[in-house]
Amino acid sequence: MSNKKVWFVTGASKGLGLSLVKRLLNEGYQVAATSRSLSDLTKAVGSQSEQFLPLVMNIKNEESVQNAIELTISTFGKIDVVVNNAGYGLVGGLEELTDAELRDNFEVNVFGSLNVIRKALPYLREQQSGHILNISSIAGFTGSFPGFGIYCATKFAVNGFSESLAEEVRPFGIKVTIVQPGYFRTNFLSEGSLITPKNPIAAYQNVRDIQDFHQNSMDQQQVGDPEKAAEAMIRIANAPEAPLNLFLGADAYELANKKIAAVQSDLENWKELTTSTAIA
Amino acid sequence: MDNNKKVWFITGASKGFGLSLVKQLLDAGQLVAATSRNQEELIKAVNTPNNNNFLPLQVNLVNEASVSLALQHTNETFGRIDVVINNAGYGIGGAIEELTDKETRTAFDVNVFATLNVIRFVMPYLRKQRSGHIINISSIAGIAPGTGWAIYGAAKYAVIGLSEVLAADVKALGIKVTVVAPGAFRTSFLTPDSLSMTENPIADYVDVRETHAKYLKMDGEQAGDPEKAAASIIKIVGEENPPLYLLLGGDAYNRALTKLDSLYKEIHQWEELTCSTDLEHDLQIK
Repeated sequence: MSNKKVWFVTGASKGLGLSLVKRLLNEGYQVAATSRSLSDLTKAVGSQSEQFLPLVMNIKNEESVQNAIELTISTFGKIDVVVNNAGYGLVGGLEELTDAELRDNFEVNVFGSLNVIRKALPYLREQQSGHILNISSIAGFTGSFPGFGIYCATKFAVNGFSESLAEEVRPFGIKVTIVQPGYFRTNFLSEGSLITPKNPIAAYQNVRDIQDFHQNSMDQQQVGDPEKAAEAMIRIANAPEAPLNLFLGADAYELANKKIAAVQSDLENWKELTTSTAIA
Repeated sequence: MDNNKKVWFITGASKGFGLSLVKQLLDAGQLVAATSRNQEELIKAVNTPNNNNFLPLQVNLVNEASVSLALQHTNETFGRIDVVINNAGYGIGGAIEELTDKETRTAFDVNVFATLNVIRFVMPYLRKQRSGHIINISSIAGIAPGTGWAIYGAAKYAVIGLSEVLAADVKALGIKVTVVAPGAFRTSFLTPDSLSMTENPIADYVDVRETHAKYLKMDGEQAGDPEKAAASIIKIVGEENPPLYLLLGGDAYNRALTKLDSLYKEIHQWEELTCSTDLEHDLQIK
């Protein structure tokens, strides 16, 4: 067995997941990669290497996730780095999206990642090592993405549980990093990836404009390089000290700073009211 | 209708902040529709016999039809809806690994999806009026989550995320949004009725058990006064420019500031890596 790390990457048939898997294989890592479709995945990765374990997995289903993790362990003997990358974008006003439409976004972006974490942790605890990379988004740190309320809520949720998770698993030698990319040139905004409301409401012209901007002006014009994002993730997985929050892209950097300043400003402006609530 | 009288719709009103809000508002002569899973408990808790300003509603917030009906009932009774307070919620404790998929989803049902149900069904009324204020009760755990409360933190983070975006999306329609993040208040939050703990603790999670014990010991000792919290929330509704974020309690204030400081430091510590991922300049414009 190679002394290189074993990676487990979800949602690997496209986007950042695919770039990451390809680079890892090129660098000689052992990679278990999951997708809903095995043929899409093997075609996209195009590797016959024994280092590559393509897995079909339904991330919404605990049993399916458990099977994928077990297959990875029985094939490579361990899991060092778990990358919760599977996820998709949803644009629409909160009023426009049905309970069913928005729950599905949580199914994949939140509950799917939690399924993987829940099923991978027994192995990582046993090893007393491991690194969980949760791919969130700058939209999980700031809600400055009008029209993306549910998507932001899902990614905020990822940031929230990851912050706690880092503390939960620190005693076991397991690290957690929340990767928060800005706009990267993947097919995230392309047809078939970005989901839109089935029943749009005319009053939300602002949301339609945002949707149109993302679909027709931003798609394939993003400045972020998925190859460099993959490189950054590999770098932090190998670093002795990894950040809890890793933003990717100059746009994400700027937005994160703005967000901190905005909350600080609300905190200061309303400090008197905030601190007036103690029991006398 | 008296101009100073507003119509309030408050979820989870049979205890905690919700109950304090309802009582103070009724004392101030406001019109209040309040929801609970159990109408009888709600009526008993509020204890305001023969008060036409009070509309107690039995609502299952996870059920779209039940929520829609409650809002319709409120609008028919009081003629409008001015302020919506999404207060219903409960705490859930346990390491991620200790909570089942089902327990996790149930926590999101009430803390996130119920709030979204209310927003979805109240928006048509607020849009028609071109006015309204939606107040979502999150928690300081939605900004700086505690060890052993990952799922609760995740749900409260989600509420903050959706509130931030909602504020921008409905501003042009004349509707305001505030997300409230309270610290520890002396409500029944830390009692079994409001808190669900993992049924399958794993021995390895010693730190999680210790944190839980520390929190539960705080029950009855919390520094925050729920009456003052309710008064603060009522106060910002009267403001011309209410905050998007309202923290409540000195503990919440300090935890948020500390969290923001550490984030700021981390962002700058990793700035070089963060800003190294853009495409080469000649590839940027396609």
